[in-house]
Amino acid sequence: MAEDTNRSLYYEFVKGLWEENPIFRMLLGMCPTLAVTNSAVNGLAMGLATTFVLTCSSVMVSLVRKIVPSQVRLATFIVIIATFVTIADYFLKAFFPPISKQLGPYVPLIVVNCVILGRAEAFSSKNPISLSVADASGIGIGFTLALVSLGIVREILGNGSIFNISIFGEWFEPWIVMLLPAGAFITLGIMIGIINAFTIKKTGKGVCFGCSIGYKLQEKLVTAESMYLTPEELEAAKAKPEKKEKKKKEG
Amino acid sequence: MGDMQFIISASPHIRSEESVPKIMYSVIIALIPAIISSIFIFGLKSLWLIVTCTVVSILTEYIFQKIRKKDVTITDGSAAIAGILLALTLPPGFPYPAAALGAIVAIALGKHIFGGLGYNIFNPALIGRAFLQAAFPVLITTWERPLTWLSQEVDAITIATPLAMMKFDMKFESLEKMLIGNIGGSLGETSAIALLLGAAFLLYKGYIQWRIPAGIFTSVVILGGTFWIIDPSKYPDPLFHILAGGMVIGAFFMATDMVTSPITYKGYWIFGIGIGILTIIIRLFGGLPEGVMYSILLMNAITPLINRYTKPRILGRK
Amino acid sequence: MNKTVIRMLLVLTSVGVISGGALSGVYKAAFPRIERHRLEELKRAIFVVLPDAKNYKTLEKNELKVYQGIDETGNPVGIAFEAKGNGFQGKISMMVGIDNQFEKLTGMLVLDQIETPGLGAKIAKDKFQSQFKGLSISPEITYVKNKKPEKPNEIQAITAATISSKAVVKILNRQIKEITETFKLN
Repeated sequence: MAEDTNRSLYYEFVKGLWEENPIFRMLLGMCPTLAVTNSAVNGLAMGLATTFVLTCSSVMVSLVRKIVPSQVRLATFIVIIATFVTIADYFLKAFFPPISKQLGPYVPLIVVNCVILGRAEAFSSKNPISLSVADASGIGIGFTLALVSLGIVREILGNGSIFNISIFGEWFEPWIVMLLPAGAFITLGIMIGIINAFTIKKTGKGVCFGCSIGYKLQEKLVTAESMYLTPEELEAAKAKPEKKEKKKKEG
Repeated sequence: MGDMQFIISASPHIRSEESVPKIMYSVIIALIPAIISSIFIFGLKSLWLIVTCTVVSILTEYIFQKIRKKDVTITDGSAAIAGILLALTLPPGFPYPAAALGAIVAIALGKHIFGGLGYNIFNPALIGRAFLQAAFPVLITTWERPLTWLSQEVDAITIATPLAMMKFDMKFESLEKMLIGNIGGSLGETSAIALLLGAAFLLYKGYIQWRIPAGIFTSVVILGGTFWIIDPSKYPDPLFHILAGGMVIGAFFMATDMVTSPITYKGYWIFGIGIGILTIIIRLFGGLPEGVMYSILLMNAITPLINRYTKPRILGRK
Repeated sequence: MNKTVIRMLLVLTSVGVISGGALSGVYKAAFPRIERHRLEELKRAIFVVLPDAKNYKTLEKNELKVYQGIDETGNPVGIAFEAKGNGFQGKISMMVGIDNQFEKLTGMLVLDQIETPGLGAKIAKDKFQSQFKGLSISPEITYVKNKKPEKPNEIQAITAATISSKAVVKILNRQIKEITETFKLN
């Protein structure tokens, strides 16, 4: 039994890093992703702040999951999340004022980051604290890694530096577009494209919303689709793509 | 009946002896006067700029088609046109590596991301130019004085384009200078005469739609003229609007791109008028001096919508 | 039925109370630091734009707030004030120093701006800001492009960012006029 918990703890943690990476795989929390990744430091700060909020609120949500009536669960979750966001905001303002100034309104906006409410609703409200912490910190670190990698690419091309250390000589003419929102969209699109290209080669199929991504809950695979659709709708949805595939093969 | 084979291909759909390469090469021929005039006005470096963009465009197309395991169609001339048009929208002193980057973006992000010729939503050359505008805003607005290579001056002196002068200094350039091309500007937007010559050839051949430029110029004259009548000291006359900036090259060579413009007569007019109105609004009230590029890109974006709402009625139906 | 309603009320209220309590604690702990940072920044900005000042006091009149710089001996060395207005993309806010006679600027520091990085954002660079030191404000500030300023009331606009430069000049002129009219008499 103990071994079992350990293994799933490990699984819940690792899945967030890559398999269910909130940005590259689930495309959740796009607002901070596109808005604050204009430098690696900003991406890192945003990622860490989000991880903090995510982990703490997961603990709280998991703690109160049995006493909160389902009708008011969202309101409760939001209050909990907002509390930690405010704490993170004060903390940054008090100890890292320059970073707080750089991130501006995007720290308070962590409240509406769908990754956090998504994890609270889908995971920590149904799982014990230990699993919730593993899940939240995995997702949070995956989020941070994605933000930092986006930030690094954009900073190199847009400013000629990594973590504010200049890496090119004078000859490099920075691509200012990379620091603008347009650069965020272009970089994210190309990165997801490259990742998908490699994944398709490996698994033979594209990764899409609800295809295979999901997590195990009491021996059952929970996917995005199964979360939002009734069992009948799910069956209908499953039946359709198969038909299409058949047609394709025949054609 | 069951044996009928339908070949489904992307636009431009051409039957008769006209083919995609033939039209594309005609467009290249039509651009030759503009290329020559740009070489005459800015010297040999404009030729190298055009060559850089064209070669890189073709190379990018080749690489992408190889990666995607499609037929390599670099000889149809469409990539070359995108390269030439991109080069013609750049300022003469633009660094070659940056221009090459623009060509890569034009072909890769402007064309092949969508699936290649016929599937692209936006004009590839303008995508490249828009990217460069956002990436290197200082370089792309550094205009050299024309004809400096004749007078043996060592330092190329920068000057403002007529539109920038209008926007920031309230000065209007003389129309004769703008017609010939003795003004600051990008390679292909300076000499209106050379461009009109090429455009006349294409119109004569019927390879471009006269309704699109007509729509653009009509709306520019009417809207620009209205503002000019209201306050001639503040707003330029309509002829200035037509000759300045990328209006001529945009109207004849970019807006008329078969892939990214509508396919109905009514659609041509809506498309052209939309470009004209947007251009005047951006030029007179926007933050940027020139608006032809963004106007065309915006209208490109709503082309599918125009097509949907101007679908001709099927005979016999209401 | 009633039981659920009561439970909902209880849970929501207690969550609200607990989080409110926690937040007020955190706020109390963080506030002094945040306030200290704010004041330090303000002080630093004032001393940058009024280089001779060693201390300052706040003056208020007609809802305008300015900071009067004072040197070691207690004599006023000029007035610093915040100027805010619209730039190319969003609000620009600056700290501006002006001498006692309301003739020259003693300095300008951009506090906040969200202009285009690499272009309009250069208004926050020293090269641009230092032009305002010793700049004459009569009759008003003007800008020139692509050449060295000749007159004492001219600054050079940033290449390819004329709009942001223009916005700064416009904001300054408007605010300087307002401040001069209000404070010059005393």
